[in-house]
Amino acid sequence: MTRFTRLLPNGVRRAFRLPQSRERLLAEMDAEVRAHFEMRVAELRARGLNEPEAEAEALRRFGDTEDFRAHTARRATRRARSDGTVEWLTDWTQDIRFAARQFNKHRAFTALAVATLALGIGANAAIFTVVHRLLISPLPYPDGNHIVALTMDGDERALQSRSGPAILAAWQARAHSVESIAAMSVRAIQVQDIEEQDTIPAFITSNFLHMLGVKPALGREFRLDEERTDAGVAMITYHLWQRSYGGRADAIGAKIQAEGKPYTIVGVTPPEMGAPISLTGTTSPLHEAAPSIWLPGQLDSIGGNVFARLRAGVSAQQASKELQSIAATVPRHAIPPPPPGRRAPPMMAQRTGPLCCAHAIRAQDLVDPAEARAVEILFVAVAVLLLIACANVANLLMARAWTRRREFAVRVALGAGRGRLARLVLTESVTLALAGGLFGIGIAWETLRIILALRPPALANLAGVHVDAAVLLWSVGVSVFTGILFGSAPALLAGRRSVGDVLRSETRAGSGDGASGRMRSTLIVAEVAMSLVLLAGAALLVQSFIALQRVPLGYDPHNLVAMDILLPMRRMSPDERLGFERAVLTRLQGTPGVSEAAIGTLPSEPYQIHGMTLETEADAAGQSRSIQDFSETTMSPNYFHLARMSLVEGRLPDSAQWTRAIVPDPDANAPPEEIVINRELARRLWPNGGAVGARLRKGIMGTSQYFAVVGIVEDIRLPGRGVIGGPGIYQLPLPVEIPLIARLSNGAHLTASDLRRIVAQTDPRPVAQTVINGDDYLRNALAPTRFAMALLVAFAVVALMLSAIGLYGVIAYSVSQRTREIGIRVALGAEPSAIVGLVARSGLTLAIAGALIGVVVAAGATRTLTSMLYGVRPGDPVTFVSMALLVGVVAVLASFVPARRALRIDPIEALRAE
Amino acid sequence: MSRDTSDLLHGTLDLLVLKALSWQPMHGFGLSKWIEQQAGDELEIVDSALYKGLHRLEDAGAITSEWGISDNNRRAKYYSLTARGRQQLRAETVTWKRYVAAVTGILETA
Repeated sequence: MTRFTRLLPNGVRRAFRLPQSRERLLAEMDAEVRAHFEMRVAELRARGLNEPEAEAEALRRFGDTEDFRAHTARRATRRARSDGTVEWLTDWTQDIRFAARQFNKHRAFTALAVATLALGIGANAAIFTVVHRLLISPLPYPDGNHIVALTMDGDERALQSRSGPAILAAWQARAHSVESIAAMSVRAIQVQDIEEQDTIPAFITSNFLHMLGVKPALGREFRLDEERTDAGVAMITYHLWQRSYGGRADAIGAKIQAEGKPYTIVGVTPPEMGAPISLTGTTSPLHEAAPSIWLPGQLDSIGGNVFARLRAGVSAQQASKELQSIAATVPRHAIPPPPPGRRAPPMMAQRTGPLCCAHAIRAQDLVDPAEARAVEILFVAVAVLLLIACANVANLLMARAWTRRREFAVRVALGAGRGRLARLVLTESVTLALAGGLFGIGIAWETLRIILALRPPALANLAGVHVDAAVLLWSVGVSVFTGILFGSAPALLAGRRSVGDVLRSETRAGSGDGASGRMRSTLIVAEVAMSLVLLAGAALLVQSFIALQRVPLGYDPHNLVAMDILLPMRRMSPDERLGFERAVLTRLQGTPGVSEAAIGTLPSEPYQIHGMTLETEADAAGQSRSIQDFSETTMSPNYFHLARMSLVEGRLPDSAQWTRAIVPDPDANAPPEEIVINRELARRLWPNGGAVGARLRKGIMGTSQYFAVVGIVEDIRLPGRGVIGGPGIYQLPLPVEIPLIARLSNGAHLTASDLRRIVAQTDPRPVAQTVINGDDYLRNALAPTRFAMALLVAFAVVALMLSAIGLYGVIAYSVSQRTREIGIRVALGAEPSAIVGLVARSGLTLAIAGALIGVVVAAGATRTLTSMLYGVRPGDPVTFVSMALLVGVVAVLASFVPARRALRIDPIEALRAE
Repeated sequence: MSRDTSDLLHGTLDLLVLKALSWQPMHGFGLSKWIEQQAGDELEIVDSALYKGLHRLEDAGAITSEWGISDNNRRAKYYSLTARGRQQLRAETVTWKRYVAAVTGILETA
């Protein structure tokens, strides 16, 4: 026996050996030395020595026995410690090598399994990348989750008000929850730059880069003392550096002109430099509007957006609380009520909300809920897809486990325990999954490119996204997890069969293995059910998307461009500002390609007014109605015509009032300013009609001002978002911040630079800020739905394909198991149709069971889609029935192929074989 | 001439063991006999040093051991060379020859 084991290769011996204990090792060494002694004594006796002499000589030749005993003790301890791990590791590498050999032998199986897993894991990794970037860690800066935007009273501009500097100073001095506070702003100054390109300067505090956690790409940051003095230094953006200086190092030290003053370039900001958190909503200003030069400024005078880096371990809520408690101690300047007959500028009005809260806002907090929802749904969908992939591979493995049962039985006979076998199977499946994960990362990369092409607005900054360490880690984690998941079923089965049974039993035919067969059928039913859920969800979204595109918007977004213009209040007198308004409109009107120009925002983007009330006059019974939040649009009289908005009742405001707003009117009894309201506001304040001709009061800090309602305009709706801005009023403009809008003639194209040039040619002082295109806006508004729909459809189709492959596999396998039975039937004269029916029936039974379960689950699951659906209900019966039918048709096709193969079985061959 | 082997360099004993095992697997006693025979009884191996050497080589992965039955029907532990041991033998043989040549060169000329 021992001679026999000596002949076995080392690997086999090791495979079944237990880790050795210290006692065992000691005993072994002892036995070895004892054997040596016996042989030595025997040899010496043979040379003629007597017993005591021989033993004494043997002992002498052995040397220092004490020293040797110490040696064996040390060795036993050392080996017992390392053996456990070493055994495991050698077993493990052995298992992996064995798995690799298996895969090499069964290439088709391996390819199918790896491809299936790659699809599942790849889709998962891609969506995880999006989830990670959108919801977990949106800012591409070191510890980006610690960066917040600071606001007061729910308005980012509150910190620019008269109380702002005092609050900021108090925060800087006393807040412990933030590491640093920095600000960035775009200011109304002009820069004459090299090559006469558009260059927009922005001010940053000297600690801005430090707050973001980035380093200059070249040169240095601003110093603190440069904030306070007129140091004449500037940093330029990476983009400008590349464009105008060709990325050369000599850009440092170059001079650049701004407002007639020279600035020396001291540094280049890195490409990822920018305002980390945009509080302006979902609009996407064109890239050209981004600033390209940075000038140093002080935190309290920059008047821009304020950002902070939170201390590690501090949550945004905790920071908000502390900042609020500090801000509460700062005396606030009340905004003086406007003199009678003069309107408060809308921006100021926004600032007068309840003096309440300091807010630290994370980028995550600003994600459009619709978009976050879409991503969450997709995340669940890819998880389901992965489960289907797992079920498929588990099925493949179980089919193979059946053919491998002899191998397992032999292993058990050689002493491998159930645990050892399970580990072998799991090693195989995890190796498979990791291979799938490897290809999956490639698939993730491609999927990401598709996602970027669909590009929902919140993912706009995803452009530079890549498969990063977090995503790689995730993919590996998912791979190992799926490997264990789909491997556990075959692993359980592997240990279950009794050795004798398998070795004795004939391999061929019959019922197959009961447990394995049941498990495989269950998996198929689950797969079909899960696919149906995905299909139903996808179908509902497709219908919603179609319905959404038919929603009447209330305006025509086509060929609209809009831009905000900031008028510097101190450097332009009211008359100059009014003059500018008229002049820029005339110039815009005269620009080739522009068919009409007006003052006003995109109809879908009115100013939102919070914390102010609109109230009707008291009626005869002394009752009045009021609402709290509303939207406000300033507009020139031709605005409705330009936007193609229809006046449903009444007339436009008297355009003679246009100049009134800025001329203080000493006569408080002058007729009230005329406004138009939207249908929603009319419905809310005058449910019984009679809005036109009524008077409306806008409350500002205890004072109020009456408006006369002269007309009602149609509501503006956006697909999936209802009435935009809610109740709204339309009034003639106040020349503070004027929005410009133009409708271009068909085919005309006007870039952001063109528009800014028109403004600059009219007057160099105002600055054009954001430029938005009406079509883009609409596309962005539809993006979350389109994004969710496209991906869910893709995932559902893949899921259906995988289920079909799984079903096909099971049917084909059962045909191969039943070859003998079918052969007998054919020999006995069964009709071909009966054979096809026999085979296809088993497939269809599984598919129908799956579809039924799927419909029930989908009825519940699609309810989570409710907020994304439009014009169709979650449990829509037509959708469900048609998807169930689709699944049925696919199931028939998947079963038909193996059924046809069953027909070709030659009865003689089938009966003769084995 | 009989000589105590405790002053034999560790490396030398290892080298001899590797060389011996390159012929066939052997147990410790057999090794001791083989080396003494090959050296024409010029060397007497201290047995404990031999076993320490064997254990050292086994722990380093140069040789492996397996229980077997000796020619006169005794249970004994047989050692055999691994691939790594074979490589070590080749490398150390070369080193040893150079070393001896260098030392001999010095002794004969000086």
